[in-house]
Amino acid sequence: MFDLEQSIADWRRQMLAAGIKTPVPLEELEIHLREEVERQMKSGLDEAEAFKASVQKIGQAHMIRDEFKKVETTKKDRKWELAQILLLAFSSLFPLVVGRQVFYSEMTPGQKISGLAAVVTFSLLAWGGRLGCGMFPVIRARRIRSAVTNSCCVLMMLWWIVLFNIILPRHDFAAGQLLVTILWGFITPAGAVIGLALGIGNAARKKTATSD
Amino acid sequence: MYSVLMIRKELVAASAEPLVLSLLSKGESYGYAIIQEVKARSDGKLQWTDGMLYPVLHRMEHRGLIKSRWGESETGRKRKYYSLKKDGKTAMARHHEQWSLVHAVLSGLRKEQYV
Repeated sequence: MFDLEQSIADWRRQMLAAGIKTPVPLEELEIHLREEVERQMKSGLDEAEAFKASVQKIGQAHMIRDEFKKVETTKKDRKWELAQILLLAFSSLFPLVVGRQVFYSEMTPGQKISGLAAVVTFSLLAWGGRLGCGMFPVIRARRIRSAVTNSCCVLMMLWWIVLFNIILPRHDFAAGQLLVTILWGFITPAGAVIGLALGIGNAARKKTATSD
Repeated sequence: MYSVLMIRKELVAASAEPLVLSLLSKGESYGYAIIQEVKARSDGKLQWTDGMLYPVLHRMEHRGLIKSRWGESETGRKRKYYSLKKDGKTAMARHHEQWSLVHAVLSGLRKEQYV
């Protein structure tokens, strides 16, 4: 004896197994399936035939899943673009603000040049990742990209701990020297990590876009 | 959205967005009704694989062309209704312009063949 509710529950399980895991699309698809079954039955089919025909009309689960995956990719790409804009805006404004402070400070000309070079290097490294992404390796797996970026962040933080807890306390820097050391030791590595994150992220997305 | 009688799948896919936008410009609607209306208006020649409409609707919603709300039918059945947003109206106007241009070029070329 055909049980419509049981068949719909089985169909839901198949869709879930195929990878349509987000609740809203599955709920919408189930509502659609029920409306179609109802329409088919009104046109003269029995419950079992109506269900079979409706499932066929809905389409194969893997095809629907692939289309929903594209929507998810679009959402992630937008978040990535927003993150990039924020990072690059910061990388552009920061050298202007700090560079101005350095320029008008009472540092020696040599320290000023070194300090300005540090903030410009920071900005160039960050923008280099965006503009020179073609030179970065293409890492398709998002997890590996995240692992690489996170590892670099951890290394950078370890370096900061060493800088502030071991190197700086052991040297009796004058104010100008201290500022230059912090700019090179603290700020410039951050530019390198931002550049790396933008570089490998854009390299992978560019490759995906051209191969689609 | 791709299994179609007579009309090529690329054309069906390309026409999905303008058709959905144009249908929603008449008022809010839901997935099942949109499919039925497209089918009726094309005398069954433009038939989508039903499930493939939903990723299209979700993509358009994410792009800010349409918005959705959960509601109920007269019989109490839960439904997700979609309606057009301002950007959707602009996108629809652009689609109409482009499709009209293609249509005009094709018609012109066809006429020339019979001259």
